[in-house]
Amino acid sequence: MRHNFIDRYANLDSPLHVLEARTKILGYLSLIAALLLMPGRNDVVLLVYAFVAAILVGASQVPLGYIAGRSLVILPFVLLAGIAAPWTNSFDGARFMALATRSFLSVTILLLMTSTTPFPELLRGLQKLGCPRILILNLGFLYRYLFVLTEEVLRMRQARDCRRAGRAPPRVELKLLGSMLGSLVLRSFERAERMYQAMLSRGYAGEFPVLAPRRFTWRDLTFLAGIALLIVSSFRYAGR
Amino acid sequence: MTEYAIRITRLSYSYPDGTKALEDVDLDVRVGERVALVGPSGAGKSTLLLHLNGVLSGKGMIRVMGKPLGDTALREIRRHVGLVFQNPDDQLFCPTVFEDVAFGPLNLSISPQEIPHRVERALRDVGLDQSIRNRPSHHLSHGERKRVALASVLIMEPDILALDEPSSNLDPRNRRHLIELVASLPSTLVLATHDLGMVMALCPRTALMDRGKIWADGETRRILADARLMEEHGLEVP
Repeated sequence: MRHNFIDRYANLDSPLHVLEARTKILGYLSLIAALLLMPGRNDVVLLVYAFVAAILVGASQVPLGYIAGRSLVILPFVLLAGIAAPWTNSFDGARFMALATRSFLSVTILLLMTSTTPFPELLRGLQKLGCPRILILNLGFLYRYLFVLTEEVLRMRQARDCRRAGRAPPRVELKLLGSMLGSLVLRSFERAERMYQAMLSRGYAGEFPVLAPRRFTWRDLTFLAGIALLIVSSFRYAGR
Repeated sequence: MTEYAIRITRLSYSYPDGTKALEDVDLDVRVGERVALVGPSGAGKSTLLLHLNGVLSGKGMIRVMGKPLGDTALREIRRHVGLVFQNPDDQLFCPTVFEDVAFGPLNLSISPQEIPHRVERALRDVGLDQSIRNRPSHHLSHGERKRVALASVLIMEPDILALDEPSSNLDPRNRRHLIELVASLPSTLVLATHDLGMVMALCPRTALMDRGKIWADGETRRILADARLMEEHGLEVP
């Protein structure tokens, strides 16, 4: 079965892919924070950020269509904010455009982060940055078993569709859906039990061991310095 | 060195809901011996395997490599007994193949410098390409995942290998490869399976299980040829 992996392009070999995970997490998140906290309404600054994002997307070698398509996911939310805007007292088109641009750029940068870093490395980066271990463990299991669960649901749906003809009345459909969800919970529960047995069998004693592959190099330093320079100068320019 | 790798005496186990899974099971396996556990689904084969490294503990006595199974020696026992689960999705829980294969050795506090070499060798042993080591296991085919699961256990160099339906869902080529691989290993083997062809290829001795008991235990050729016995327990002569 086919899935849309969130890190489908994470194993390329571009200048961004070779950076250490911590670098990317810190760099991209501060870019987003700067973008959202930028005082006033300065089109030149936004343009500069858009330009930087475009350069990064280009350097990442991730197909443009993939990033653009995924970024559009934010559109409904932005439109919703736009619809609500006339009822607030300070609405104008330019403000709306600025809001839309900022959201779009933020999502693009986030996508850039997840599609230039394999998810396991991202987790390791978060852990090194001091994210609680229990959270990291759970995210790791989520990533690993998301697809197993998706397949389980797809198989259950196929099994249901094979045994019915046409649509049942809504009440019956709902009941069916309920029992499917119920058995999914039970199956996951039992799977968790078997996983734990497998972990015990290989000597698990409460600690998840890790080996670290990538190291922090001068490239990471350059990248972070570049981003810091951009953020500081854009704030000074916007604050004038 | 003890003569017996596994000695099980009067082992009984009931699941928490009361279902009797094992009843007075006796089984002795000599060091280096290859024994097949055959029997219909639900006979208790998997439950018995889970007892070999103390994941489940029923009533009765189990000795592994001469040591009685108790809480004190569990870590030691798990180094001796390598258990490969039937479903690789239950066994492979790490984000990447490398981490999954390295999980056991890291827990056994083997030195980190040695681990990449060991992973490389384990993957080569099961016939997998080195390029898959950084991939997440859900990107692999079922056959590949089964082999990664086997590698994740072989890397611990267990004295006793316990395999639960290792050939299920494998295509003929991968199945043949698996049989050759297991045949080349020096470990004591306990093989729970329906695949009687594999049993004949690997195990000189067979124990027939059904409804939590062992009904026959002896030479594979004799047991698998006994049509009455086989049909009585939901199997057929291959």
